[in-house]
Amino acid sequence: MTTEVVKKIPEARPSVIQPMIYKSVVTVYRIFAIITLYVVLFGVVAYGFVMGFYALNTSWAAPVIFSPADDKSLDFTEKLVTSRQTLEDLNVDMKKLGDGVAEMTKHRSALEALEPEIRVAIAREQQHNQATGPQLLELDKQKQADNVKTQRVLAEVKAVEAAIDKDLAAGLITKSDAATQRAALNQVQNSYTDSKIGEILLTDNILEKTTTDTKTLDVLDKQAELISEIAQLDIAIGVAQKQMYEETKQITRLREALATAKQTPYYLSVSGNNAVNFAFVPYDNQTSAAPGSAVYDCYLNMIVCRKVGTVKQIFAGEEHAIHPIFRTDIRGFLIEMQLDHPESAKSKTVFLNRKPLFF
Amino acid sequence: MAPVLVWLILFLCLLISVFKYTLALILKWSVPKATVEKDYTYQPTVSVLMPCFNEGKTVYETIESISNSNYPNEKFEVIAQDDCSVDDSYEWMLKAQRDFSNIKVRVGRNTVNSGKARTVCNALQSSTADLIISIDSDCIFHPDAIQELAACFSEPKIGSVGGRVGVRNPNENAITAVQTFIYYAAFQLYKVPENWTRSVGCISGCLFAIRRELLLEIEPKIRSRHWFGIPVNQGEDRFLTHQTLLRGYGTYINNDALCWTTVPSTLPELFKQQLRWKRSIIRDLFYTLRTLPKHVWTLHPNTVLTLVLTPLGALLGLLVVLTMMSGNPMELAGPGPLVGYLAIAAILTVVIRKYSTREAVNNPLAFGAYLAWTVVSSLFLTTLALCTLDSRDWGTRTKEQEHPQEATDDDRGRQENS
Repeated sequence: MTTEVVKKIPEARPSVIQPMIYKSVVTVYRIFAIITLYVVLFGVVAYGFVMGFYALNTSWAAPVIFSPADDKSLDFTEKLVTSRQTLEDLNVDMKKLGDGVAEMTKHRSALEALEPEIRVAIAREQQHNQATGPQLLELDKQKQADNVKTQRVLAEVKAVEAAIDKDLAAGLITKSDAATQRAALNQVQNSYTDSKIGEILLTDNILEKTTTDTKTLDVLDKQAELISEIAQLDIAIGVAQKQMYEETKQITRLREALATAKQTPYYLSVSGNNAVNFAFVPYDNQTSAAPGSAVYDCYLNMIVCRKVGTVKQIFAGEEHAIHPIFRTDIRGFLIEMQLDHPESAKSKTVFLNRKPLFF
Repeated sequence: MAPVLVWLILFLCLLISVFKYTLALILKWSVPKATVEKDYTYQPTVSVLMPCFNEGKTVYETIESISNSNYPNEKFEVIAQDDCSVDDSYEWMLKAQRDFSNIKVRVGRNTVNSGKARTVCNALQSSTADLIISIDSDCIFHPDAIQELAACFSEPKIGSVGGRVGVRNPNENAITAVQTFIYYAAFQLYKVPENWTRSVGCISGCLFAIRRELLLEIEPKIRSRHWFGIPVNQGEDRFLTHQTLLRGYGTYINNDALCWTTVPSTLPELFKQQLRWKRSIIRDLFYTLRTLPKHVWTLHPNTVLTLVLTPLGALLGLLVVLTMMSGNPMELAGPGPLVGYLAIAAILTVVIRKYSTREAVNNPLAFGAYLAWTVVSSLFLTTLALCTLDSRDWGTRTKEQEHPQEATDDDRGRQENS
């Protein structure tokens, strides 16, 4: 085995000033690196601690501030307004229907009262006709006989009229006498005409009293219309009452829904004048949430805690939320908090019933 | 704005990864030009440089495997250079020199501990061959490895060629199983698009062949490598590859040139190795940023992409993990990623079992552990690497150095030869 020295390899070397610069850069870098590594180390330990803490802790709750502009509140407000409007409309509708039914019932009563009167009037008239009809028939025959006689007399009157003309032409009578005599003859003829008219009218009258004429038919038609109108009113009243029944049920349901809505945090949020503080509690932490339980808020998330209020009420409905640390979707419910320190409503988490780390 | 930006980066990373692997499969199966046309009649003289530090008997096995090479014995030599090992490595080298007389084995020793890069340079001083192959002293080589590497240099523009590194201990435990998958996928898929344009970003130091004149040109740069005055003796393989590319030469991985390395089997060992690699990647990013403006127009676009994206990926990984942890950390351990990883593991298991029996993994479920390692690697290793760029510690083999000495210029030039 031999030892030999091989050729020396020249290397690129830094200039004289460079070592100073390099040393400074490296020193700054090392300080920065050490700080960074300690920060990373602290960050990793803190991250692991926070992860472990929230995996094990069963008393945390996440304060929730409802903004009137957030989706849930807007949706709830919209539904509330719609429900209230529907209720108002239904009430107005019910009133209209009630008034309508009352009016129709009143009208029906009036019609129902009128119908027997018509029936009686018809009967009375029929009875009267039965009595007077034959009498008029006798009178009509007599009238016809009288008119036949009068017709014969009128034939003689024509001869008298011709004699008047002759007498006037012969100068046996004056024009005045002739006029007087002619007027007397006209009167006779008029009487005859009147008598014929009377005969015809009498015949009509007899026809009315002895047969079913148009007037009677009109009256019967009116009676039928009356009965029909009453039947229609019955149907309309029935429909209106059915509608009122359905709307009453709807009103009841809406009132119940509104009563339920008034028990939700969203109602309290949108209707209350004072700020109401809520918090989301996951089901895993249910045992820590009871009305009257203390609410703790902590510095540095979970360290150094103070009591900031109490749990006022627990809402029944299920809610979904994002886990403040794990960012997973979790199920739970909302509670209302009575906070002495309102700023705690803005904390990421609060703790119920007990301090998370006993200090 | 910040989450949008991070998700955009995530999306881009995913897109680039999917694109790169898909492109790799297309190239592998349908583009013949993606591979070098090898000429086995091209048989230059070869020096196999084997730097060694505290490897013990392994060096003997390594030289033994090289002695079985299917390459004309008169055309290659082994130059084993010990970097002041405190164990019996040097003795094992000498024993190999005696036992494997069918090949020429030259054994040398640094006078002071100088690090791998400088040990290679020291070994180079004894070489006169046309082709230099630098190897790791803990690897076992396929008999065809030298022949395969040399055959690629028939293409004149090729400057450096690497082999495929397999895993010797795939079934030692879950850690080695995971590495087996990663090594296999890296060489058989990830490097393929880079091979296409002869622009491999990093040829593994386990099996690294380079033209002699090129290495001699780069050698001063290797020796003078420093980080603000602190000598850098890590990541010489990435540096050499980078230098090869900047000089206009092509770099290539020949997957038929095989060697097998013993990968770390414990978490501390793996952590140290990966930390060293991360430092190397980050240093390379800074080097890239410094040199790219000068070379960007002369390099192939794929080379630029490789040089920029690989180190950038390490930094982006940190952002990705931080984003996930600040969002829903459980997503990392969710069924989606796990099923995805296990599906990849199943495919790789079948492929490796079929095409590389020696590396067959018995328990593919071990790949699930990669999920946890990704977090550790991305979050801690990148940060730690960024904060320890001044480190000279090799990491895995320094435990027994009793009297560490600084290498002086004179020391660097001296060596013992036998």
